[in-house]
Amino acid sequence: MRIRGWTILLFLAFSAPALLGQEEAEVTFELKLSKERLGVNERLRADFVMNKDGDNFVPPDFEGFRVLMGPSQSISSSWINGVRSYSKTYSYVLAPEAKGRFTIGQGTIVISGEVYKTIPREVTVTEAVDNPNGAPSVDEIADENLHLVAEVSKTNPYMNEPVSVVYKLYFSSTVGVSNFRPLDNPKYNNFWSQEIPFSKYSIENGTYGGQPYRYVVLKRVVLYPQKSGELAIEPLALEVSLEVPTEKRNFFGERIYATANKTVSAGRRTLQVRPLPETGKPADFSGAVGDLDFKVTTSKTSLKATESLQATVSVSGSGNLKLFQLPKLTLPSSLEVYEPEFKEDIRTTISGMQGSVSEEYTIVPGFQGKYPIPPINFSFFNPRTGTYERMRSGEITIEVTEGPTAAPASTPAAPGAVKSPVISGNQFYFIKLRPELSSKTWSPFFGSRAHMIWLLAPLLLIPLFVVFRKKREERQRDVVGNKVKRANRLARRYLSRARKLLGQKDAFYVALERALHNYLKAKLKIETSEFSKDKIRELLTERGVAPDTVGAFTRLLENCEMARYSPFSRVQMQQDYDKASEVITELDKSL
Amino acid sequence: MRQTPRTLFLLLMLLAAPMGWSQADSLFHKAAKAYNEGAYQEAAGYYEAILEDNRHSAALYYNLGNAYYKMGEIAPSIYYYEKALLLDPADPEIRNNLSFAQNMTLDAIQPLPQTEINRAYESLLYQFGIDQWAYLGIVFMILFVLGSLAFYQLASPNKKRIALLAGLLFLLLAITSTALAYLQYRAYLRDQPAIVFAGEVAVRAEPNRGAETAFQLHEGTKVQVRDSLADWRKIELEDGQTGWMPAEALRLLKDF
Repeated sequence: MRIRGWTILLFLAFSAPALLGQEEAEVTFELKLSKERLGVNERLRADFVMNKDGDNFVPPDFEGFRVLMGPSQSISSSWINGVRSYSKTYSYVLAPEAKGRFTIGQGTIVISGEVYKTIPREVTVTEAVDNPNGAPSVDEIADENLHLVAEVSKTNPYMNEPVSVVYKLYFSSTVGVSNFRPLDNPKYNNFWSQEIPFSKYSIENGTYGGQPYRYVVLKRVVLYPQKSGELAIEPLALEVSLEVPTEKRNFFGERIYATANKTVSAGRRTLQVRPLPETGKPADFSGAVGDLDFKVTTSKTSLKATESLQATVSVSGSGNLKLFQLPKLTLPSSLEVYEPEFKEDIRTTISGMQGSVSEEYTIVPGFQGKYPIPPINFSFFNPRTGTYERMRSGEITIEVTEGPTAAPASTPAAPGAVKSPVISGNQFYFIKLRPELSSKTWSPFFGSRAHMIWLLAPLLLIPLFVVFRKKREERQRDVVGNKVKRANRLARRYLSRARKLLGQKDAFYVALERALHNYLKAKLKIETSEFSKDKIRELLTERGVAPDTVGAFTRLLENCEMARYSPFSRVQMQQDYDKASEVITELDKSL
Repeated sequence: MRQTPRTLFLLLMLLAAPMGWSQADSLFHKAAKAYNEGAYQEAAGYYEAILEDNRHSAALYYNLGNAYYKMGEIAPSIYYYEKALLLDPADPEIRNNLSFAQNMTLDAIQPLPQTEINRAYESLLYQFGIDQWAYLGIVFMILFVLGSLAFYQLASPNKKRIALLAGLLFLLLAITSTALAYLQYRAYLRDQPAIVFAGEVAVRAEPNRGAETAFQLHEGTKVQVRDSLADWRKIELEDGQTGWMPAEALRLLKDF
């Protein structure tokens, strides 16, 4: 019992002056934060500190944070030189729930009947940090002072448009880079890539994030996207040995540098590759993109047969020169053409390929003549203007001046003729000078009516001939009829005039008389018109003519004379005519 | 003196008949002059004016072909040479210059090989032209008739026999000649050559734009037209390939 009494006494003895001094000090109540800026994966300690004991503490709602621990209460109280210091703290450990800026609101407490409030504080929550809540290590320092950057010249190129990627290693002046080694060379999938080599690394000054830095260009690559859409460039990873200053100093007070190996990698970059427009895409487009020039040239345009010449198809300028096919030269089939020789003269710079590609054809004409090289088209896409351009080579004609001519082609009319390279002449003939024009309308003689008649009419001659022959034979067999016919014929010959004049008495008898005399003249070759009848009778009898006939003849002559002086009827004239023909026939038999 | 009006009349007749043609002749000579001076376009113009006048000749087509060859135009050049050859298949100058023009064509077509019999038949068939065969048939027919008449007329049995045999031989020859004329005429009607005028033309498997391309032909190639459907022509090459191509890319040779 005695001991407890003492303790109470002691307590009272010590505490009484403390209670007295407290009344004089100002009351404070404030919020203390461990940091105002933190990573999202770090923690924040918030302390509500007061210097006088209070009651009824109400914390703020910590919007944007999660309370990991707390509130935990601690009280410290001390007497120094008779002054009592007292503090009471409510502590919370908070974890941010998201990035951003947050405000920690007011906490309230009641001290001695008065309500005190804290001032709201702002907290910036940044991205997650690698080493949360740790002290800056060598690695951290290295991280802050070493940056590998891939600079891409264009993020939305067209397909096959060159894109350059430059890898730069930035390091601040506080660290020293002693060595680096690429860990993994990126593979540029879906790109055609060409690295631009350079002989040595050189350190240059630049800025990074607004601060002065030094940098080394590690690699320069020109990429030609081969696919449209979103394409990723794999990051380049680099192992860098570097010297980082530490807080330690050596004997002479110099900083001790620690060596650190650090792996840095350039971020993954994506390119949005635009496809080449479909509108206006030429049919013969072969994928050439750039600013190009196209031409076809020949080493000569006039030569002799069996000499050779070179025809060159070339594309020059800047563009994806290695990535398209040159258009093929179409040459006359009669020329001997060798496989083209491909030549390229390309320099690859950071802005892409430049130079020219060409195909050289060796041509040997075998025969003389003119050989046109038809124009060929080349189309490409110009990313600068965003349109397709089409170029056409000029028409070239090769003139082969000397040499054999080609074999004359077989005639269209005679497809059977054998084609053989017979060399007949060696010149191109001049035009013809004789027009020999005819009407254009042609109808073949074959099948025409004239053709049919000419072909078949001769056949009719055969039956006609047969009939004719038969008739003649019949005629030869019939003697009497023949005689009659003969007389008729003679009469016709001599008495035709008299016959015509039948009925006109005078004229008839004159004609009849003349006919009779003519007959004698023809038969006897004697002119008898001046002879007397007796003389005629004599002549005829001399030739062995029957006396009856002679009589009849003379009688006729008498009649002719008499008729001049006496009337004669038509019947008599007819009788005399018949008689005359009879007499002439009779005479003819004996003369 | 009595002869004067007659000669005058004859002269007038001679002058009047070819009045229209003499104009064509003068155009022809003008063209020759232009051609010789290197004015090929002008020369071709004159020749075409004659053609429009419905007059033609192998020489005219040949000269037109020459003019176009000099201007470097493949298709018209070959076209007119081939036309000249249709009128005068035996002319060596036309063939020579045609081979020059054919050097300029792009397509190499190997003609199908022919059998020995076929070749012999064709060489016989094209020994003479259609009308020449027809005339020959007539001559043989007349000889046959004469032979038959001689058979009737002659008395000696030996001579009769000879006349009969000769007559029958001539009949056979007459029939053969006429038959050959007919065969050649039929072949002529079937033969429809054409020249490709388009610089490059796709020959398709079917007569429409959407059909698959069978092969490509170039300017100056000679094809045979076998069939037609609307604006499309079925063509056959010398190597036996067939396909359809638009009519405007072709020009028929036999459009006299």
